[in-house]
Amino acid sequence: MEKSQLGILVEELGTSDYERKLWQKLLQEATSGAEASELRERLREPLLELLKELGEGSFGTKLQLVSKKLKEFPTVDILPLVLELCGELRQEKEQALQEFQQMLSELATPVIRIWTDVLLVPLVGGLDSDRAQGMVERLLERASSTRAKVVIVDVSGVPMIDTAAGGFLIEMFSAVKLLGADVILTGLKPEVAHTLVKLGIDFQMVVIARDLEDALRRAIAMLEEEKRQQQKIARVWGGGFLGEGEESDEV
Amino acid sequence: MEGERDKRGLMDIQEEDFDVVVRISREDDIAIARQMAKQLAQEAGFSLADVTKIATAVSELARNIYRYAQTGVIMIRKQYQETNNPTVQVVAVDRGPGIEDLDLALRRGYTTHERSLGIGLSGVKRLMDSFEIASKVGVGTTVVVEKRRRKF
Repeated sequence: MEKSQLGILVEELGTSDYERKLWQKLLQEATSGAEASELRERLREPLLELLKELGEGSFGTKLQLVSKKLKEFPTVDILPLVLELCGELRQEKEQALQEFQQMLSELATPVIRIWTDVLLVPLVGGLDSDRAQGMVERLLERASSTRAKVVIVDVSGVPMIDTAAGGFLIEMFSAVKLLGADVILTGLKPEVAHTLVKLGIDFQMVVIARDLEDALRRAIAMLEEEKRQQQKIARVWGGGFLGEGEESDEV
Repeated sequence: MEGERDKRGLMDIQEEDFDVVVRISREDDIAIARQMAKQLAQEAGFSLADVTKIATAVSELARNIYRYAQTGVIMIRKQYQETNNPTVQVVAVDRGPGIEDLDLALRRGYTTHERSLGIGLSGVKRLMDSFEIASKVGVGTTVVVEKRRRKF
């Protein structure tokens, strides 16, 4: 009698074989009349599994059903344990999320030295987050320590640019320019370009290149131009004064 | 732009009538709102350029809520009219401080926020086909924008 009543309840509660097995175990242990401390230990595992399987909401409604149908079920004794387990689960999730965020900020924004004195920054995802802010700091750090002359910013991985993202880019470009480097922007998609025009954001302060190949070619051209200028200065100052005069014969 | 009747109409909009309702209270909610808008516009068959414009407009409106009112709601729905051209309607409602001078707020380059370009609200107007705004100081702000799918 007792057994079959339990069985019916288990059938009612579980929607899969695995869930039914867990409910069976939980109900049997709970009604076994064990000592409170021992009960806690025994119930821990099936409760945790059920919470993971069902989520807090639907587990709650089912627990209500159980306490209504099964008079001897010690609902009040079990509730603190359930709350404790919920807290544990949430903490686990939060920790995983935190680790993931940390990992993402490390992974998602590399700064690549693509040519002598040229850095490439491929931006991916939204630009309106702490992650993006941290990326700018790293970029400025790198640009300063490597004494880069050109920074290529590729936004082909950015799905949309609103005024916040646009403002972020403008700030970043200004900061890079203050370090004495030129910026080449590339990878603007047609739909993004159209949106930018509608919003009235222009990136006049930077050179815009059609694609990465074009950007790299322009960067190299800029470096060549600078070298030529330096050689010219060296010659004017009277060959060899700056130590670079002897290379400048062909100019 | 809108009569007294319309203004009252803007204030009693029902959440149940909308396909998507996103509550804005954290910065991450802005990304959620624009992702939802993007999905809805894509389902309605908008071109990629228009999907991006709608998502950008939603992003601006959501950011305005987050910046100035802290909390509010973004509601999005698809509407099918007899012309068979679907429309996406976006409604942004907040119970924030309200806007004192709407004409000034809509002017390009005007902002009260330190890290803002001041082109968001006027930008939204240009991104979308229709734009209505009602605001009362101390009560809140409601913005209703729409974009029609163009015939090919």
